[in-house]
Amino acid sequence: MGKKKDIAIVGYGETPVVLRGGRSSYELAADVLDQILAATGLEKSEIDGIAVSETMSETSNPFWAVFLAEHLGLQTQWTQVNGLGGASTIAGIARAAAAIRDGQCRTVLVIASDAQSSYPPAEQGGQRWEFQYPVGLRGPTGVFGMLMHRYEHQHGLDYGALAKLAVTQRNHALLNPNASAKLKTPLTEQDYLSSKFVSTPLRVLDSVMVCDGANGVLVTSAENAARLGLKKAVYPVGYGEVSNYKVDDLTADITESGFTLAGPKALAQAGMSARDVRMFHPYDDFLIAILLQLEQIGFCERGKGSRFILDTDFSYRGDLPLNTGGGQISAGQPGLAGGGLNLVEAVRQMFGEAGERQVEDPRNAMVTGIGVIPFGKNWSVSNVLILEQ
Amino acid sequence: MTEKKLPPRPLPRPDIYAKTRPFWDAANEGRLLLQRCKDTGKCQWFPRSGSVYTGKRNIEWVESSGRGTVYSWTLSVAPWPGHESRAPYLCAYVELEEGVRILANLFNVEPEGVRIGMPVKLMWERLSDEFNYPAFEPA
Repeated sequence: MGKKKDIAIVGYGETPVVLRGGRSSYELAADVLDQILAATGLEKSEIDGIAVSETMSETSNPFWAVFLAEHLGLQTQWTQVNGLGGASTIAGIARAAAAIRDGQCRTVLVIASDAQSSYPPAEQGGQRWEFQYPVGLRGPTGVFGMLMHRYEHQHGLDYGALAKLAVTQRNHALLNPNASAKLKTPLTEQDYLSSKFVSTPLRVLDSVMVCDGANGVLVTSAENAARLGLKKAVYPVGYGEVSNYKVDDLTADITESGFTLAGPKALAQAGMSARDVRMFHPYDDFLIAILLQLEQIGFCERGKGSRFILDTDFSYRGDLPLNTGGGQISAGQPGLAGGGLNLVEAVRQMFGEAGERQVEDPRNAMVTGIGVIPFGKNWSVSNVLILEQ
Repeated sequence: MTEKKLPPRPLPRPDIYAKTRPFWDAANEGRLLLQRCKDTGKCQWFPRSGSVYTGKRNIEWVESSGRGTVYSWTLSVAPWPGHESRAPYLCAYVELEEGVRILANLFNVEPEGVRIGMPVKLMWERLSDEFNYPAFEPA
């Protein structure tokens, strides 16, 4: 990436997040394409590339990406699947940008769609059949319970800070028409602090609820956007990605993730420091993941996340608006399409289309992804995307 | 009214993703094997097809002392399918003397008594005629 602003996101689409809605990943994706075509006024023939996220509900199908493009009526010159879990969508934007710059295609639909709560998920197998399932550690909740205990041991953890994040995101979800109806009830800090344990010290309200949904964006060159007369655009100006951080250090600190590399890399490309970030739209499978990202990307010192959270106003009117659509925790996690949820919210804000939760001067945004639960570590994939108007 | 049938506790499936039969054979004799990279002399867990340190397939099985400390832990209140009848149960990452961490259940300790850094020692849980499974208890 970099400050050239030669690649643009020119449209977005998103279905409501629904618990057990029963619609397939294909049908949900069709809603997203329909919305993008309506918003941009483009014919589908302009789209000549597709980057698709792997899903829980369709990944057992090895032809998912091509079948989806066929279902949507897209003939493409560049077709790509990202199996990076919740990191897949912003990874898709980075790969689409590279493919467009390389001349392989001109306009790419970066899309994620997953009916995980309606259809049985794909088996993740591997070493888990021998070394995890018989022990009974639940992934991801068990793994994040371990992570929280270790963080608390090393740095101290103020659960009031996590409660504040829970309430902030819930307040945002209440203003988001696409948030899951099941989660549209006000929440207090006490509700969080007294919610049931899933895997100590992790509680129900630390966690996402798995739903169905789809989201996507349209990526093209700035030059092509001008040719097509597109009026709205935001520009990816920084990107960092790390998979299997410290894979061969088997006693590495599990509270430290690839964000320590991906965050500074994305910021350097964008010519920014964390202080310059106007809005933060972090991947939020669990509240503790937000705290760790704030520290490791460099918004605050390591171990000082609780204090930073208590001292910062993360509301859409605040100092550092955070997951203004409610995030996955309060809007619902549309399966592995969850990685696109906070991205679409960032683009919506930057297009000035966020309605009553609109952030003032949404000049830039940082969006992150987290993907895949490995053995005995934090998470497998960390990535960071910075967008500018 | 039909009662919902609970799934059985998952048993290991050896030799599927990697050749792990030597580990399970030794487990039946009460010995915990780890893999060691013959080039670097470092141990690794979980078992892989080659060395995580060098990428080479120059590895061997060695026996662990079974001594370690709790690196982190969680009380699993919501069970993984097949573990319903024994929930809640303790899971831990145990850091072994050999420089690896292993995921295992903790027994013979109450959740209130678990501390990060506490010394633990190997014990075995008999899952079936075929499978003896490593677990840990306070040392």
